[in-house]
Amino acid sequence: MFERIPKGGLIALCAVTSLAGCGEPRQQGAVRSLQDDGDRALSVYVVNYPLQFFAQRIGGELVQVEFPAPADVDPAYWSPDPDLVSAYQGADLTLLNGASYAGWIERTTLPPSKLVNTSASFADRHIFVESAVTHSHGPEGDHSHGEFAFTTWLDPTLAAEQAEAILQAFIAAYPEGEDVFQEGFDALADDLQALDQRLAAVFAGMAGKPLLGSHPVYQYLARRYDLDLKSVHFEPGENPPENAWWDLQKILAQHPAAWMLWEGEPLPETSSTLGELGVRSVVFDPCGNAPEEGDFLSVMSENVSNLAEAFGN
Amino acid sequence: MRQTLYLAWRYLSYHRVKTLILLVSITLIIYLPIGLRVLVDQSSQQLTARAAATPLIVGAKGSPLELVLNTLYFRSDYPEIMRYEQVTRVTDADLAIAIPMYVRFNAQGHPIVGTGYEYFEYRGLDIVDGRQLGMLGECVVGSRVAEALDVGPGDFVISSPESVFDLAGVYPLKMRVAGVLGFSDTADDDAIFVDVRTTWIIEGLGHGHQDLSRPEAASVVLTRDSTNVVGSAAVVQYNEITEDNIESFHFHGDISQNPVTAVIALPPDQKSSALLQGRYQGEDEPAQIVRPVNVMNELLGTILSVQSFITAGAVIVGMATLATAALVFMLSLRLRRREIETLFKIGGSRLSVASVMTSEIIAVLLAGVILAGGLTFLTGQFGSAAIRAFIRM
Repeated sequence: MFERIPKGGLIALCAVTSLAGCGEPRQQGAVRSLQDDGDRALSVYVVNYPLQFFAQRIGGELVQVEFPAPADVDPAYWSPDPDLVSAYQGADLTLLNGASYAGWIERTTLPPSKLVNTSASFADRHIFVESAVTHSHGPEGDHSHGEFAFTTWLDPTLAAEQAEAILQAFIAAYPEGEDVFQEGFDALADDLQALDQRLAAVFAGMAGKPLLGSHPVYQYLARRYDLDLKSVHFEPGENPPENAWWDLQKILAQHPAAWMLWEGEPLPETSSTLGELGVRSVVFDPCGNAPEEGDFLSVMSENVSNLAEAFGN
Repeated sequence: MRQTLYLAWRYLSYHRVKTLILLVSITLIIYLPIGLRVLVDQSSQQLTARAAATPLIVGAKGSPLELVLNTLYFRSDYPEIMRYEQVTRVTDADLAIAIPMYVRFNAQGHPIVGTGYEYFEYRGLDIVDGRQLGMLGECVVGSRVAEALDVGPGDFVISSPESVFDLAGVYPLKMRVAGVLGFSDTADDDAIFVDVRTTWIIEGLGHGHQDLSRPEAASVVLTRDSTNVVGSAAVVQYNEITEDNIESFHFHGDISQNPVTAVIALPPDQKSSALLQGRYQGEDEPAQIVRPVNVMNELLGTILSVQSFITAGAVIVGMATLATAALVFMLSLRLRRREIETLFKIGGSRLSVASVMTSEIIAVLLAGVILAGGLTFLTGQFGSAAIRAFIRM
């Protein structure tokens, strides 16, 4: 008769309790440190070719340097697509040029702790582009979207400071590789010093003489070597419009330059018209993007040769 | 023995109302203090788990509790605003990773959390649908937000004005959902995450508008010279950031003066933590640095003292109920005198009769203990979820 005692309630209770489950709050971990990855190479993304070159020279085999901008764009004005932004987000370090270079950085979400502004150490020596147009609307009053000149690497002494920032970032991220990084940096610093001396020699005769730049990218070069340089907005692959020629003539009236530095070989018609105005062309490639042949130093060496040939040094 | 148990069972099932009342009373007497204890312990664990996982929070001087609740749970009024330079200050100290937090706005009832990329890595939040925040104007939504608003990658969430009367203030920003976060069973599930700069755009500190230098903008240009273009109030400003107009978005003034509500600081070790805390001890210091776990423990101390009162009350009520139950049993013995006499007359020994009576009492007590145990177990399993659901109501 005892068997008749109903057990349904307790059985149901047991079933409910055994099936019951509730997720505990997720384990929250600290931000991954690079040292957790053992001996693997650092994954480094950069925003222009000079930084890629510096990083590769310093990091050697210990770093994987990625510069995903297409070869036919100016990396300063290029923007990565969302997939590439994800790739930048996943990098151990992202090397920035600073000085307003690569505006997309300001409009995307990247991990600040992994960003290295390689020109931060000389932020007080960035060159502000004074011709920036301000505008005003609404209650905020005047404001400017002005920019800094950004081709900092054209001053080899600043390039060396950028390289040193990369060295420090690499050591901080991967202390075990310090010897390799230091060795790479020392060699690079020597090369940059040699480049500086060669440029100083080739520009020695041009100090104070009027000079033109086809594009406003030579500010740091001009400051370093005491060049009296004014810039226009001529593209090597395009014939400048008529009003650009008028503007050039106005400039030449005040600034009688005999040479114009070009980022690439100008069109023959452009060279010819310039010749009629008494201005000859010489190519000085800033090398913001990867060259088709050679590397940063070989391009700079060719620039020096072009200048030496042009200026007769 | 079986006969004794059978007689006890038959008696209890016959007097089912009385048995049920006794059972419920005993169950509640046992369950209330224990269940309450379990519930409070779970709440404590819940609150302190997130706080303990957050080493330090830097905020403007003010209520530490408000700062912690806002930063960790995105609840309460937003604390005193401080400047973004405080984020840079933590970074520059080189003692911790600094994660900015700006929790002020909301979209359709869900908090908009302006933060940095590192927040997701730090909290272990993974994207289960879509991708991470890519560009300004995008958001990633918590799992419960995705469910409640029925949104996924490619859909839009629109920020809400702070006040219906705030016609000239914050204007709605249409934010594209880039991804949905996995369920984490934390406050992150109920939040909409954006880049901290997107919250500044919501606030109007940054904006995008038509290019005033272009011919099609001539109708909204008041004056123009070589260095300045003055636009009228009719300049078209964008309320959605797209690939086409993103380059026109910009911030006015000094970014370091833009607002944040807190900085989560993640020092790598105790020494860095101590050094960083030491930097905020000055009397003229505009910011405070708090250890969230200390703030939450203080709060829990208050809750635990309230719990002690409730437990004491429950114990007193329990004693009264037990006394009443004893009285019920004693009265029922008196009422059952004829039944007991009948048992004697049909040959039942004194021991057998006492056994029947004792079995009834033990059965009721045992059932009460089992039910209370079951309820406590259920509380342990579902209590935390119930608390969170209650808090969200």
